[in-house]
Amino acid sequence: MVNGYAPTSLQEALTIRAAHAVIPYAGGTDLMVQGRKGVFLFLNKIDELRRVTVDDDYIRIGAGVTFTEAIAHPDVPALMKEAVSGIAAPAIRNAGTFGGNLGNASDKADSVLIEYVSDALIRLQSITGERLVPTDQFILSRGVNALHDDELIVEVLLPRAAFDAQYSYLKVGGRNALAISHIAFAGLYDSEGGRVSRLSAAVIADAGTVLRFRDLEQQLVGLSVDDARQQKEIFLSAFGERIVLGRGRVSGEYRKAVSLNLLRDFLDRFLG
Amino acid sequence: MKEICTSVKKKDHDAKIQGRAVYVGDYERTDRGEPILVGKLLRSNIARARVSSVTVPPLPNGYCYVNADDVPGDNNVNIVLDDTPVFCRETVEYIGEPIGMVVGPNEEEVDRILGAIEVAYEPLPPVIELRTAKEFFFEYEYGHGDVVRAFAEADKVYDEEFETGYQDQTYLETQSMMAEPEGDGIYVHGSLQCAYYVHGAVMRAMGMGPDQVRIFQDVTGGGFGGKEAYPSILACQVAVAAHKAQAPVRCVFDRREDLEFTSKRHPSLCRYRAAVKDGRVTALECDVLFNAGAYSTLSAVVLQRGIISAPGVYHIENVHVRGRAAKTNTTPSGAYRGFGAPQTFFAVEMLMSHIAQDRGEDSIDFKERQLVSQGDMTSTEGRYHFPVPLRAMLDEVDAACDLRRKHRAYAQPQSGRYRRGIGMSAVFHGSGFTGSAERDMIRAVAKLRKYRDGTVEVLASNGDIGQGVRTTFPKIVAHELNLPLERVFYQHPDTARVPDSGPTVASRSLMIVGELLRRAAIKLRACWVDGEEQEVEEHYREPDFMIPFYIDRFQGDAYATYAWTVNAVEVEVDTYTGISRVLGAYGSFDVGTPIDYHIVLGQMEGGFLQGLGYSSIEKMDYDNNGKIWNHSFTDYLVPTTLDVPNMVAMLHVEEYPDGPYGAKGAGELPLVGAAPAYVEAVEQALGGSGVHRLNHVPFTPEDTLLELIKEVK
Amino acid sequence: MEPIRFILNETDVTYDGDATARLLDVLRDTYHCKSVKCGCKEGECGACAVLLDGALVNACCVAMGAVDGRRVMTVEGYRETERFQVLSDAFAELTAVQCGFCIPGMVLAAESVLSHNPHPTEQEIRVGLSGNICRCTGYNAIVNAVKKASEEANGLW
Repeated sequence: MVNGYAPTSLQEALTIRAAHAVIPYAGGTDLMVQGRKGVFLFLNKIDELRRVTVDDDYIRIGAGVTFTEAIAHPDVPALMKEAVSGIAAPAIRNAGTFGGNLGNASDKADSVLIEYVSDALIRLQSITGERLVPTDQFILSRGVNALHDDELIVEVLLPRAAFDAQYSYLKVGGRNALAISHIAFAGLYDSEGGRVSRLSAAVIADAGTVLRFRDLEQQLVGLSVDDARQQKEIFLSAFGERIVLGRGRVSGEYRKAVSLNLLRDFLDRFLG
Repeated sequence: MKEICTSVKKKDHDAKIQGRAVYVGDYERTDRGEPILVGKLLRSNIARARVSSVTVPPLPNGYCYVNADDVPGDNNVNIVLDDTPVFCRETVEYIGEPIGMVVGPNEEEVDRILGAIEVAYEPLPPVIELRTAKEFFFEYEYGHGDVVRAFAEADKVYDEEFETGYQDQTYLETQSMMAEPEGDGIYVHGSLQCAYYVHGAVMRAMGMGPDQVRIFQDVTGGGFGGKEAYPSILACQVAVAAHKAQAPVRCVFDRREDLEFTSKRHPSLCRYRAAVKDGRVTALECDVLFNAGAYSTLSAVVLQRGIISAPGVYHIENVHVRGRAAKTNTTPSGAYRGFGAPQTFFAVEMLMSHIAQDRGEDSIDFKERQLVSQGDMTSTEGRYHFPVPLRAMLDEVDAACDLRRKHRAYAQPQSGRYRRGIGMSAVFHGSGFTGSAERDMIRAVAKLRKYRDGTVEVLASNGDIGQGVRTTFPKIVAHELNLPLERVFYQHPDTARVPDSGPTVASRSLMIVGELLRRAAIKLRACWVDGEEQEVEEHYREPDFMIPFYIDRFQGDAYATYAWTVNAVEVEVDTYTGISRVLGAYGSFDVGTPIDYHIVLGQMEGGFLQGLGYSSIEKMDYDNNGKIWNHSFTDYLVPTTLDVPNMVAMLHVEEYPDGPYGAKGAGELPLVGAAPAYVEAVEQALGGSGVHRLNHVPFTPEDTLLELIKEVK
Repeated sequence: MEPIRFILNETDVTYDGDATARLLDVLRDTYHCKSVKCGCKEGECGACAVLLDGALVNACCVAMGAVDGRRVMTVEGYRETERFQVLSDAFAELTAVQCGFCIPGMVLAAESVLSHNPHPTEQEIRVGLSGNICRCTGYNAIVNAVKKASEEANGLW
């Protein structure tokens, strides 16, 4: 085809990717809006990218899986389903993919928020090998990711243990459908024997990347629930200090306030 | 309900749902088989400047550049005044002002040429902010009673400012127009509301006589006022381009262009002062300021309706109103459903609610006590000649949503994350043109032509823009002639074939032209001869009860009759996010007899939802340079199916004797009252005006949360 | 170089143009499918919605290369079906069509809802149509028409 390749296997796609300057095309929902010119590498015919599988440690979502397919799939965790159900509208969810949401490195990608909070790994492949990159090391800044010119995003590895935890999730957009997240919050919590065993919180706030502060979380993990509750205000104010926001569709003051409200709600729910 | 109210299948249903309806962007060639050139506008990227030079690169064969020098007639578009140029004069006055047009066969090449044109500007200081504007296109003033004395004698005086933002019409089909040279004349057709407005504008720009210019309305993908005046400008531009290229030229705006550079609802600042004595508003002073943008377009008439509506639906003895339309170096504002009234009704309804709350009184009671009644004087010393059903409508809304009880319950202090409020508004919309324009300027003529086979064609210039006149006009005629509806038809207007029955604006088409057609049908019935071609004609006659209106004094009957509505909106505010979920929106609407129940219901529901969008999510603003930044559908948000799932519209019928079968104006009314009802609901959820006095729309989740943050501080 | 082959409204077609071209533009300009409307070109309005292998997509957000080997359905094809007639009758009865610009996309969104869920609740219909902006109707008539079609379909979906 003119200005395009449509390989039917991953190996073929990686070979083309290595040999030519091509733009990977997943669902098209962002790429086509950007109106980029070039040669497209169409990934929709590659079955290897379109599977959801489960092993002992991970739920693996292929980069070419659409949001609609994920919502219908029995193995995709409820939190991820909830988040991707809030993306735009059916026509976008039918086309948009997990790989695409990572590929454009938007700081407002709803599936990526869940990948941040759950410590998901992104599997990247090239003809010379593969890499497993943690989500927060894959997305570098707004619009920039760690994908090399010869690599493709192959799958997202969601740690099963993370999705056994309890969660809070809320998206705040400009309206009830067809809305970009002004703010979205996801938090995971678990306790064992009266102690906090897992606590992670990630926020979309138009901040360049999803916000997550592991060092702050670590100060609570391992504490007794009672002790953690005592630390709540310190945690909140430390988190608040880290949220530095520039101009956006809605004001930084609003995004910060809502982020902290949702974080507080999450902590109140699980720590009391 | 009367038989005429029974819903029928719309005449254009099949063509539209089957995708066969031809909008102007759908033509592959002209009707004569010629290829169509693409026209695209070169626009200013600076708010105010002298254009010192425009350097056009060498153009490939078949391409041309068009500007003011190519206008064969007058480079002024006739709207109300003549200040809007077809293509810019020596200066540009807003970002996006058309400087010229590039025309050619290939769109990508046209884009490339546009990008290669160099415009040199000498920047001039622009006026961007409405508050700092010093130049006014129009200034009006009127009043009655003794305002000074009433304020002096008041128990308490209230003084508040209200602000409303832009609203974009967001018709799904963008502005689109096509021109074809025809002999020594020009044929222009496209997406428009007012074929004869376009006709007049093109005649003038082209320096042509009435018979040289032919205007046709194609199937039009929504208007809402946005295609009242703007198409006249675009029509002149494509006409000039087609004349220069000597070939058909079509210009279809992309969404960004349409959002950023076409007319929208005037932003407003309204300062209201009220004198209250013995529990009533005894005097009202309104200072109404509209942002007209860079050219005057329709601002005169928008402002007139806005200030006439300024005191709302209340009986107030002493009134003084001032209105001004300010020039700023921003996109010219224009007509949008409601036409100046949503701004002032927002102000007066919020003010009434705030006064009541300050008095410790339920605002519904306070408002109800002061509602106008039949026979009362209007703001302009005319009369409400016909029944004012607001009290009954309030009861209907109350029955539908338990308004009064909820309004009292939600006024109690609330705590917790989710809090509720319910708001109420009562408004009118004057049916038809303001004042004597219908009699003195429009002088509508409508015709019926009967063919030998006994079918009847409606000849009028009112365009179907979705509101259904292709169906309701024939319905009226078929009813009077006792013919099956299939035997009466109405095409889109073509100025070569139809008389000027006036523009498709001001909620007038059905009430005014529908009545002309009803009378014409009666005339035809009386002279009907089988097997002959016959034509009958009717002219507008002003109802004899009218108190003459003087626009210089704003005195007399501004409108013959009024459509009325009471709205209630119930919300639940999430205090963590500021999001207000609309639990229900209820409206009782009196537009007289519905000439087709479902068509009218669709008008009420569609308008009401636009009003709710205006209230809450439809935010559009510009930056310090005067550049509108909400210029895509990602950033200018209109309601989806999920935003107001529980919207209930009810019809209350007060028949108007001078409208067909009792019909009044319908189109605009449902938008007008939504904003104050919505904002009052949010305000109540936040604890009422004693804690948070809300005074602007749109009132967004961000605004709500910032109010809550203020409370904490 | 292999051209792009796909099935458009039940007919095999071959497209040898640019694989990065928008399906929207190609449907309108090359295949004369004028029912597919352009409302925004950024996936935010649904006026260009078509069915791609039975799933609703915005044709402005699909490049031609992604269509290779697949089935595309527009209203030009769908209007020949019994299902379309049921929807059309329900839309007519409730006067759900005003300006008409959103309607072809809306009808295909309705088909997409009903083909996945023949007896949807009102909320499910609203979710299914949530990417299709209609500025005229306020949506009630459209939602009710889809509900009515589902009730009167007699096992068509």
